[in-house]
Amino acid sequence: MDLKNVWSTAKKKYSIFMVLFVLFFICSIINENFLTPNNLTNISRQLAVTTILAFGQTMLIISGMLDLSQGSVLALSGVFAVSAYKSTGSLVIAVLVGIVTGVVCNIVNAIMVSTFKAPPFIATLAMLTMARGVALLFTKGQNLLQLGNFVVFGQGSAGIIPIPIIFLVIIAIFTWYILKHTRFGRSLYAVGGNEEASIASGINVHKVKYTAFIINGIFVGLAGVLFMSRVNAGLPNGAVGYEFTALTAAIIGGTSFSGGVGTAAGTLAGAFIVGFLDNIMNLASVDSYMQQIVRGAIIALAVIYDIRSKNRRTKSAMGRIEDKEKPKAIKAK
Amino acid sequence: MKKRLISVLSMLLAIVLLAACGKTATPNASNSTAAGTTTGNGGAKTYKIAYIARAQSDSFAAWLANAVKDEAKKYPGITLDVFDGEANDEKENSMIENAITNKYDLVIVQPNNGEAQRPYVEKVVKAGIFAITTNARISGIEGASSVDANPYEQAAVNARAAVEQIPQNAKVVVLKGPSGNFHADERRASWQKEFFDKRPDVKIVGEQIANWNKDEAMKYMEDWVQANDKIDAVISMNDNMAAGAIEVVKDNAKFKDMLVYGVDGTAEALLLIQEGKMTSTCMQSAYDLATKLMETSNKLLTGAEKQIDTDIGNPLVNKDNVQEYIDVLKKAGAIK
Repeated sequence: MDLKNVWSTAKKKYSIFMVLFVLFFICSIINENFLTPNNLTNISRQLAVTTILAFGQTMLIISGMLDLSQGSVLALSGVFAVSAYKSTGSLVIAVLVGIVTGVVCNIVNAIMVSTFKAPPFIATLAMLTMARGVALLFTKGQNLLQLGNFVVFGQGSAGIIPIPIIFLVIIAIFTWYILKHTRFGRSLYAVGGNEEASIASGINVHKVKYTAFIINGIFVGLAGVLFMSRVNAGLPNGAVGYEFTALTAAIIGGTSFSGGVGTAAGTLAGAFIVGFLDNIMNLASVDSYMQQIVRGAIIALAVIYDIRSKNRRTKSAMGRIEDKEKPKAIKAK
Repeated sequence: MKKRLISVLSMLLAIVLLAACGKTATPNASNSTAAGTTTGNGGAKTYKIAYIARAQSDSFAAWLANAVKDEAKKYPGITLDVFDGEANDEKENSMIENAITNKYDLVIVQPNNGEAQRPYVEKVVKAGIFAITTNARISGIEGASSVDANPYEQAAVNARAAVEQIPQNAKVVVLKGPSGNFHADERRASWQKEFFDKRPDVKIVGEQIANWNKDEAMKYMEDWVQANDKIDAVISMNDNMAAGAIEVVKDNAKFKDMLVYGVDGTAEALLLIQEGKMTSTCMQSAYDLATKLMETSNKLLTGAEKQIDTDIGNPLVNKDNVQEYIDVLKKAGAIK
């Protein structure tokens, strides 16, 4: 392997981390408040909820699906968890209720997508509307207040590390392990890369899709608990549009909408790129309209980059056999 | 085996769907069964009112819709149906049209965007149906009535107190509602005129749109706290965002004396004022609006008056009088 090849592999594999590093460097220079331990924990705490959602999206997108219902299901899980806590006083029951709610909603998603072959975009859009409706109906549109000790998940710390960050780290490692080191992880790439080929090679596609949604449900349920705990209220209309923040992190992190491509580390980097940008713009008091424009431009750039590199990948499809992460993802087209 | 699984799962889906539908339909169904009759006992006329809410997902709008529904029960000759505009002009307008087609006697519109609903409220009047606009009113429609609070005044009562309370050369942050929203813009304009123009020494170190949301306000506040070692006051256009800002610094001794202003008088804000964490808010009482709305409706329907424009008060709530408002909410069961 000559030097040019090494460089191009490195560029392909690590470009997102270079972007993250450069951005980090620039932010540190232009604002003295950026590179402080307080601000960095602050950013991680803010990012915890959407990044956990982004890991769910990453698994789904890799296998050729996505979930638009995350924000609504998060709100539903959260208000159920809050009211479970208020009526039982048990944190364990509250968390379980949150997770079960997330999982049930996502099993319904999986039934629509896998069993009935509904396009994920439409099926999860249906769930988006339903889950929000149930959350509003359940609370009559009012915020649940006086949460007591429930706030420990979102606001507490173990030593100096805030609890949401611990959740984030555990889920990041879990996602990385699943994608990189399990049969299920490899099946996700295979199903997303070419569903027919995976069926032919004996992968139980239904099982893969159901499992992906169930894991997503666990993540969304936990995110719901963290979110409500962080804001110290049960907000039935909270977290609107969080699925798009999560999708943005996954896409910027190199997960491809055409399926079969994506990594946990990439998504984490994507989430931090968005987080650093939001943070530095607030620290520097950038106008809120301007912030929206910048955020949009970043997504556009990421998608264009993805498409360009996909073209390059297709051209060199024969050279992709050495790529160990996605052994079955060689596309016919 | 697979077939059985599929049928079991589809049954499950159907049940979930039915359960969800059944639940949502109940409140409307119980209302509309009564709405079908135009003549009640003893030949007295029963009137039908359509209440078209801006968005049932907006917590104030939902509170108001619930309050109006409860208030309507006190009038035996009136039945009221609630419709949800889903924060969508298009949808809200078509609901107004439907109300005309379905021959309601009176239509109450809580506009999503006043100017977008104006021609449709004019259509209601033209069809010979009574119209009331509320929260916020659409002013200047010939023949239409209105019941509202005055958003300029709601912010102004806080701002006038703040002129005295906020220290010299203070650093403040401002949390705004969605741009283009009538109440958001009026409240911000009021703070400008009643406070910032009179206090040129005060410096705004951060101003962002947090869309009335607690979680968005928290994120901005967290960043502002990093960038400024001192923030003397938070000026928020509603209570939700004010509560978000307080959530961020509640355990931080450096911000113990921070002043926080809001508008709405939500249960959360009242509790925060009681605890001494929030300075003041302006009560925009959904109960008062609902009472006035139904009084106005009754007067119009019984022919006592042809057109009414009325406002509820804009009382300032601070630590001196917060207890009486908390008692009201406790009596209504909103807080424990």
